[in-house]
Amino acid sequence: MSVVATFLFWAFSAAAIVTGWLVFRTDSMVRAAYWLMASFVAVGGILMILNAQFLGLILILMMAGEMTIMAIFMVMFMMNPAGLNPMTMVHQHRTSIVSGAGAFVVLAIVALFADFPDRPVPAGVDPTVDLGVELLGESMLVFESAGVALLAVMIGAVALVSFRGRFGSAEEGSEEPSLETDER
Amino acid sequence: MNPVTSVALVGAVLSVSVYLVAVIDTAVGLRVAHRRRYAGVWMAPVAAAARLALQRRSLTERPDREAWALAAPLLAGLAAVALTAIPFAAGVGIADTRAGIVLFGAAMMQVMVAVFLHGWGSNSVFPLFGAFRMAAAGLSMGIPFSLVLITTALPAESLSVGMIIASQEDLWNVLRQPIGLPVYLITALAFSFWGPMNLPDGGDLAGGTAVEASGMPLLVWRIARIAILVALAAMGAAAFLGGYLGPWLPGWLWMVLKTLCLATVMIWSGHRFARIRIESVVVFGWTLLLPIALVDVFVSGALTL
Repeated sequence: MSVVATFLFWAFSAAAIVTGWLVFRTDSMVRAAYWLMASFVAVGGILMILNAQFLGLILILMMAGEMTIMAIFMVMFMMNPAGLNPMTMVHQHRTSIVSGAGAFVVLAIVALFADFPDRPVPAGVDPTVDLGVELLGESMLVFESAGVALLAVMIGAVALVSFRGRFGSAEEGSEEPSLETDER
Repeated sequence: MNPVTSVALVGAVLSVSVYLVAVIDTAVGLRVAHRRRYAGVWMAPVAAAARLALQRRSLTERPDREAWALAAPLLAGLAAVALTAIPFAAGVGIADTRAGIVLFGAAMMQVMVAVFLHGWGSNSVFPLFGAFRMAAAGLSMGIPFSLVLITTALPAESLSVGMIIASQEDLWNVLRQPIGLPVYLITALAFSFWGPMNLPDGGDLAGGTAVEASGMPLLVWRIARIAILVALAAMGAAAFLGGYLGPWLPGWLWMVLKTLCLATVMIWSGHRFARIRIESVVVFGWTLLLPIALVDVFVSGALTL
């Protein structure tokens, strides 16, 4: 790796770790979600240094939508406007400390003792093409089954919540159902 | 391209085009209102900017200062990043890489984050409504937007914007993929939150995410908003109108003319049409634009094969 690439790798790595830590140090749902996004953006940067431009950029692209959805849902699922107020992002301290330390030890063991492959990508290889061949070649059945299953879940979820809401069409305004059960 | 030259080039292109688009906005507004006194159009944006720059900035109670301060520069930076993916003339691309169009798409999806933070940061009700509206509009329009854009990569067999322009040597994509440009322009209005799709900053929310902004931060926000419009118009010109390709004139001039043409259409829609309600935008995006965009992908894919 060139000096610039090495410097960028360490900069992005540090950014990913620090922003990931800030997710738990902040007191706001929205900030926590977007610190997590910043962490993923740094990981996307590392992917781009590793010549996986498409994967890195698509990660940054997807995380923008996903973290926005997460922020809104976290605020929404609070039973009162508490989601908009400052609140701690950590709870169940003992369980969290034990599981966090355990995960760190396992990952550290893997990092130290695993036999990582050392195969530099030859110049002229386009990872985007390789990815496309993999997705629609050997592994097509796996990816397509997973894709269709996920799509069915999304269509089901949209059908359940959209257009006709619980109280009628979303466009015509809502009317609460009567408390009398025999009306319907 | 040299990094210093690149930054200077993008800065110069954005400064000039933001000013031109502001002038066009003023002129089109007068034209639509049948007030044909165009004498002041060249100075009107300068006067408005000077007024904002001298204005005292107001503060709200317990804002999320960092998020609020970040939003406008982030939006302007995203416009600059998006522009780097587009070659201004043959071979004059800054980040015209193998995944250039994905770089542009990633920058546009992050626009949603910038607008959300702008609405969230001021800790005020109407801006927060604007932020939620941006999320709803952006998520509904994001998939058709990405689909029609990625379809232009099919004839080029490359995700590089330069290759996409080169593939339009014989036939522009606006004719080869007639569904593409209309869907692109409608969804681009949502990402630049302009005109009929100006839901986050709309007048019905008294200015939406920008209600509490004033002075210099508001000026930066307005400039960034126009910059995003410029980036979207430039990509529309590159992906559908053949970019710098054209006879007689030099390539960069063709690119400028096509970009300003698309920007004018988008600005005109703002002066001509009423704002669409957010419920209609969401239903329109998921039930109409998404299937149309899928048809675009399948038909263009079949034709390319």
